[in-house]
Amino acid sequence: MGLENSLPDGVLTTKLEWLVNWGRKNSLWPMPFGTACCAIELMGTLSSRYDLSRFGSEVIRISPRQADLMIVSGRIALKMMPVLLRIWEQMPEPKWCISMGACASCGGIFDNYAMIQGIDRFIPVDVYIPGCPPRPESVIDAIMEIQKKVERETLKQRA
Amino acid sequence: MDPIPKIQERFADQVVGTGEHARQKWIEVKRDRVVDILRFVRDECGFDMLTDLTCVDHLNQGTPERFAIVYNLYSLKDNERARLKAWVPEADPTIETASSVWKAAPWAEREVYDLFGIVFKNHPDLKRILLPADYVGHPLRKDYPLTGRGERMAFPRYAP
Repeated sequence: MGLENSLPDGVLTTKLEWLVNWGRKNSLWPMPFGTACCAIELMGTLSSRYDLSRFGSEVIRISPRQADLMIVSGRIALKMMPVLLRIWEQMPEPKWCISMGACASCGGIFDNYAMIQGIDRFIPVDVYIPGCPPRPESVIDAIMEIQKKVERETLKQRA
Repeated sequence: MDPIPKIQERFADQVVGTGEHARQKWIEVKRDRVVDILRFVRDECGFDMLTDLTCVDHLNQGTPERFAIVYNLYSLKDNERARLKAWVPEADPTIETASSVWKAAPWAEREVYDLFGIVFKNHPDLKRILLPADYVGHPLRKDYPLTGRGERMAFPRYAP
């Protein structure tokens, strides 16, 4: 190729978009919004047996201001929804959201006055994980789906 | 010590009925002098602990009134339990608070107020305890729709 030949050793050329997405997808910092039993499976995913740090996602940020991936694991009640919205708004762009388990995705078995029937009615969700609760393999799969999605994004999409 | 005969003797005009199920007895009373009866049960019969205070909605069940406030009592000294029910009508869902008799009563009464809409008179701080403060209605009443009245959809949709 023309340009590399005239550059000294140790210099590579690439697209900025590719480089940024490569950085983003391999250092997703999750913000766990754990409200129920799904959060226990999420803890299992993070700990040594399944080891989410293999995918660069082991840095759990309890502060939404330092996170870029929200994992909503568990049922969201009427009283919790304003908190969820507030935390989602506090997360800086770019940000992604995983809706983990039946309750967060559609209300699950709780079809009553106090339960939000799917968080996607109010906040945008990128990946849904089915299951009640889902196994850690499913969570890892969802993280990998997010990584594929990040990879395909253009810088115009995520300012 | 079984408090039911004692209550029947002392508050004969207040007793509505008694019942027994699975070797557990209860006594049903009017709401007018319920605090006097509760204080009598605590001081004279030794039931020094209120384990629970709750409510039952007997909608269309042919009971004397629609709501029954249930007092589950325990005697630490005698290791005995007793149950007392006070009937509350639908038209005027109020009853005197038991806060002056047991310190355990106020929060339990707030829960009953929150979910059944029973107003406890002279309560020190009667406000919702479980549901959001701006919630309208009392969802544990039998005529409240199970899926609510649209509360679960009443949030703003996040717009970036």
